Amino acid sequence: MSGPSGWDIRVPIGGLFTALGAIIGGYGLATLGDADRYAASFGVNVNLWWGAAMLVFGLLMLAAARMQGRSSAAPAVDTFEGRATEGREHHRGLER
Amino acid sequence: MAPDAAPVAHLALIDYAVMAVYFVVVLGVGWGLRRLTRTSTDFFLSGRSLPPWITGLAFISANLGAQEVIGMGASGAKYGIATSHFYWIGAIPAMVFVGLFMMPFYYGSRARSVPEYLRLRFDEKTRTLNAVSFAVMTVFSSGVSMYAMGKLLNLLLGWSFDVSVLVSAVIVLAYVLLGGLTSAIYNEVLQFFLIVFGFIPLVLLGLYAVGGWDGLSSRLAEAAVTRGLPAGAYTHSWSNLGDPSQNPIGVEWFGLVMGLGFVLSFGYWCTDFLVVQRAMAADSMTAARRTPLIAAVPKMLFPFLVILPGMIALVLGSGAGGHATPGGQGIVPAKLAAGGAPLLDGAGRVVLDYDLATPMLLVHLFPAGMLGLGLTALLASFMSGMAGNVTAFNTVWTYDIYQSHIRRGASDAHYLWMGRVATVGGIALAVAAAYVAGAFNNIMDLLQLVFAFVNAPLFATFALGMFWRRTTGHGAFVGLLTGMLGAAIHHGLTLPAGVQPGVKGGYLGVLHTYPSELGQTFWTAIVAWVTCFVVTIAVSLATRPRPADELRGLVYSLTPRPDDRRLPLHSRPWVLGVVVLVLTLALNLVFF
Repeated sequence: MSGPSGWDIRVPIGGLFTALGAIIGGYGLATLGDADRYAASFGVNVNLWWGAAMLVFGLLMLAAARMQGRSSAAPAVDTFEGRATEGREHHRGLER
Repeated sequence: MAPDAAPVAHLALIDYAVMAVYFVVVLGVGWGLRRLTRTSTDFFLSGRSLPPWITGLAFISANLGAQEVIGMGASGAKYGIATSHFYWIGAIPAMVFVGLFMMPFYYGSRARSVPEYLRLRFDEKTRTLNAVSFAVMTVFSSGVSMYAMGKLLNLLLGWSFDVSVLVSAVIVLAYVLLGGLTSAIYNEVLQFFLIVFGFIPLVLLGLYAVGGWDGLSSRLAEAAVTRGLPAGAYTHSWSNLGDPSQNPIGVEWFGLVMGLGFVLSFGYWCTDFLVVQRAMAADSMTAARRTPLIAAVPKMLFPFLVILPGMIALVLGSGAGGHATPGGQGIVPAKLAAGGAPLLDGAGRVVLDYDLATPMLLVHLFPAGMLGLGLTALLASFMSGMAGNVTAFNTVWTYDIYQSHIRRGASDAHYLWMGRVATVGGIALAVAAAYVAGAFNNIMDLLQLVFAFVNAPLFATFALGMFWRRTTGHGAFVGLLTGMLGAAIHHGLTLPAGVQPGVKGGYLGVLHTYPSELGQTFWTAIVAWVTCFVVTIAVSLATRPRPADELRGLVYSLTPRPDDRRLPLHSRPWVLGVVVLVLTLALNLVFF
């Protein structure tokens, strides 16, 4: 799942949403029960709920990146295309 | 430019904090990638090293510019759910086609750009025609969208036009310079998630506000009846398309399916380097073919995210907040004439400023905090579109214009340097175009018209080039030019109803009047395509074909089919393509 040189886009995405979730969710928590503020959104404290949703998404992204981590550079034999390449090389006697 | 009126909304500290976090992460991605950009292939093609889910999301995100988000909301308010034709008919089939049938040639030929494929398949003049028109068009459309964004932020928040334009341009410039296409693509993926997370709560709250889909339908039925349309005109996509006067788009189904669904859609998704470049950055042929297919899944669901806000804005009661301007409908304000009075159309009805539908819903429903997120999502869509334009521009300029006409045979380091210079130059030109757009609206209208003529015949050239080996370079070149001319002549001889001859058509005399501007646009495209198709075949038959040896890997009949049988079932391009088409068909039936 990572691009060049093990760079994993899930880290910045996870980081961004964890931070946004914490900021917006925290703000929602701080403004809990402030009916005037949430009149426009029909009394729903959207900051709290959507902040929590983003926080969960961000943490899941970070966890996924961490779990796969370095192992994402799988040995060729573990991927379909790697196996196909090795098969061709074997067939042509090109193995090193 | 100073704000004409008091801003609609004020941001709180928390909103600025949300924006600041986004800017830091976007720039951080560019900074983190700076060491990975060593060769021109890294800079222009991401070293052909990205997995398909990344290129797929970037494919869709580069297309999801601010004009798409704002424009589709505007069309939602204007045309209702029928706007989804721009997705379900006007995008998905073409995306499946480019993935299954055309990507083997783009990716397999090792061309570095779409114009370069034309060079390999045809000749230098066809490539140059395509490269130059594409480069000019990219810069101008980037400028137009920058202008729209600056004006919107000025109106909504009272921000200075100059500051909005310059700050966003500098941020995009910084991350593209640092990390090249990889940086643009990674940020596009990030921006994709941000746009989705910014708009889902908007749609949910909006639907809640109008009483769900049922509430929305009944309110829109009233709006339709007061305009003299059938009650279901805004909530059904197909059932009123038999007669152009019975649906808000003002087109009939044949013009829609052929003009939008075939000519314009295939012309954009199958030939536009802005999107194809993302697939070319994929790490393998299978990944390149899966790129547009993976992109089609979110694309098929986007109508709910970008069209529904416009529909909701049209019927949402203005309530205690009191944002609605007098004479508007729902929370969509009226367009104001020079004196400040609402603008009226020929029939004496108020002209609504539809482009404000989605932004108004945003400021209307979101409290401080979420408002920052929603506006950051808008900024993200703007930046992803702009970075897409810039990365496509610098590649086409460097490979197809500079390397092939100005300086051949220089070192790779020199072309990498040129790519960076072209990035700065491209953004500077786009900023200049934004100011031109502000000062001379007519010039922009005229340019967009010319681009429409240039683009309409493109797919005929590519389809013939890829699937008929007899097509020659002279045929392609002459076909393209006559196709453009055909478009201009058709446009000059027809006029949308209720419009004076001029930039909207009719400048050669009026032979036919279309019920709407879109109807005219679709038929202009059909005429251009047919002209190009016929002329290309005729000229090709009269000129000498290239030997089959030179066309291997460039033409369908001379290229071995990719063998997918050994791929696991779920990642075979064919399987993905069929799944996407079936789901799209189901969506069409649900909203028939």
